[in-house]
Amino acid sequence: MTVQDERLPATARIARHPIHPMLVSVPIVCFVGTLLTDLMYYATAEMMWANFSAWLVVVGVIVGVLAAIAGLIDFLGNRLIRAQPPAWPHLIGNLLVLVLALFNALIHTRDGWTSVVPTGLILSIIVVLILPITGWLGWSMVYRHGVGVARS
Amino acid sequence: MMLSPFFRFALTCGSLLCLVGCNDGSGDPKAQIGANPSLPELQQYLLPPIHIARVVGWKTGETPSVKQGLKIEALATGLQHPRSLYTLPNGDVLVVESKAPPAAAIKRPKEIVMGYIESWATSGGSTGPSNRITLLRDTNGDGVPDTRSVFLDHLNSPFGVVLVGDDLYVANTDAIVKYPYHQGDTRITAPGEVLTPLPGGPIDHHWTKSLVASPDGSLLYVGVGSNSNITENGMEAEKNRADILEVDRATGRYRIFASGLRNPNGLTFEPQSGALWTVVNERDEIGPDLVPDYMTSVKDGAFYGWPYSYYGQHVDPRVQPQRPDLVAKAIPPDYALSSHVAPLGLAFYTGTNLPEAYRGGAFVGEHGSWNRQVLNGYKVVFVPFSNGKPSGMAQDVVTGFLNDDNQARGRPVGLAVDKSDALLIADDVGNTVWRVTSAGDGVSPAARL
Repeated sequence: MTVQDERLPATARIARHPIHPMLVSVPIVCFVGTLLTDLMYYATAEMMWANFSAWLVVVGVIVGVLAAIAGLIDFLGNRLIRAQPPAWPHLIGNLLVLVLALFNALIHTRDGWTSVVPTGLILSIIVVLILPITGWLGWSMVYRHGVGVARS
Repeated sequence: MMLSPFFRFALTCGSLLCLVGCNDGSGDPKAQIGANPSLPELQQYLLPPIHIARVVGWKTGETPSVKQGLKIEALATGLQHPRSLYTLPNGDVLVVESKAPPAAAIKRPKEIVMGYIESWATSGGSTGPSNRITLLRDTNGDGVPDTRSVFLDHLNSPFGVVLVGDDLYVANTDAIVKYPYHQGDTRITAPGEVLTPLPGGPIDHHWTKSLVASPDGSLLYVGVGSNSNITENGMEAEKNRADILEVDRATGRYRIFASGLRNPNGLTFEPQSGALWTVVNERDEIGPDLVPDYMTSVKDGAFYGWPYSYYGQHVDPRVQPQRPDLVAKAIPPDYALSSHVAPLGLAFYTGTNLPEAYRGGAFVGEHGSWNRQVLNGYKVVFVPFSNGKPSGMAQDVVTGFLNDDNQARGRPVGLAVDKSDALLIADDVGNTVWRVTSAGDGVSPAARL
């Protein structure tokens, strides 16, 4: 099987499996988790929840950066992928998510209540509100435009 | 110069932090010395200003600088992290060499980063045996010890020492332990007896337990620092912490004598008023000029704010739930020493060796800052007292712990006055005990002012 069998092959892949979709689930879960544990901390003032948030947002950012690198390689590696309508909004939206999450991770390094309330919690909410939009765009790239989809 | 890869990484990070925070907007540290320090608005950061003097140690022949009229010499070198000092009645000097207890399990990713940064600032290079007390004996009073012996070994992060009669008390990080002592002993081999346990691990954030006995010897006072910067390890971890405990020497029973003191050290009785005094390290990460560390007389039953408020009733928003009822009771301390100077040693001077200007006042050992770009502390200052109260501006007395490149040759911690009335300074990263006397130039101390 050769590259020609795929309409829009991903460049960053392992055994013809695109890397970007493998990685994105981690930051998505982490950032949603951060919002949940932030809300728990807001409700209880129990430091354990703020500690969970701090780990989740940091791991989300680290794996998110890796996912972004894989995605960027696909984006730059294939002119046809770049040309798909959802590609640019997907990239810009997720870049915004990563920048906001990075700020959120730094806010979460503060000690005590203000590591979450209010700025951390607000950033967590904004990130989780953006994610369904960029996720929708990402899945459109795969399911509707066939990015990284093998034909056989 | 050898730089480990991590150290280079840390330096790079430091420079990056500097891009964000070099101009940390700090004001004149002197505006925060005295009874009414100026307190700026509280700030919170994405990256708090961090600047720690890298440890380079003392080269042969180097010493700290002293004010005119004084002379400084090393009393002992090659020690292992000496942190506090105690003079026995026969003139023997006890040097408490102590290392931090093992770190608790990591709770947050931040602790990994901060752990590296702190290790870079406090490790004086050697990792030899510590957690012991070394005895220095200078029989002829020439400032050169004739004998040096391991007085007590295998202690648990000790700090405070006090002798009452024949009972020698050592404040380990987790207990006050009593040992039998007879004048002239150079070594104690008897097993200690726990007088009272103290809040120790597994989390043991501020671990130095300062110790002093009441003038009549019936009570001991022990400083127990908080278990966090600002309760980020949870309130349960703060039980009996950020307090000065009063311990009944006969039974070991204790009560909280004063509370809200984030990290009280240098417990000492002021000679004229007879009041208990302490120096306190205040909270971090709310600005280069917040919160001023301070020295204060300690009133029975008083609450000094931590964690809910600072410098009286300035509420700290990082603590939840807040306690307006306690904030309403919080009293401001007596004398600010400027922000982040990290006072750990306090000694009132009633001797006659040093010039007369120093008599009756207090020396303060300032370990030095990390939470501001412009370094603060890293010196020993003198605060004049009259009628049992601070009566003027703090003056720099022993400086030069930093070199011209702001690298730390040493950092002062505990202070003591020896039998010849010289001032002793424990230098924990320089691994030295310094001895300050009047400059021996034949001029009488009084004429040298």
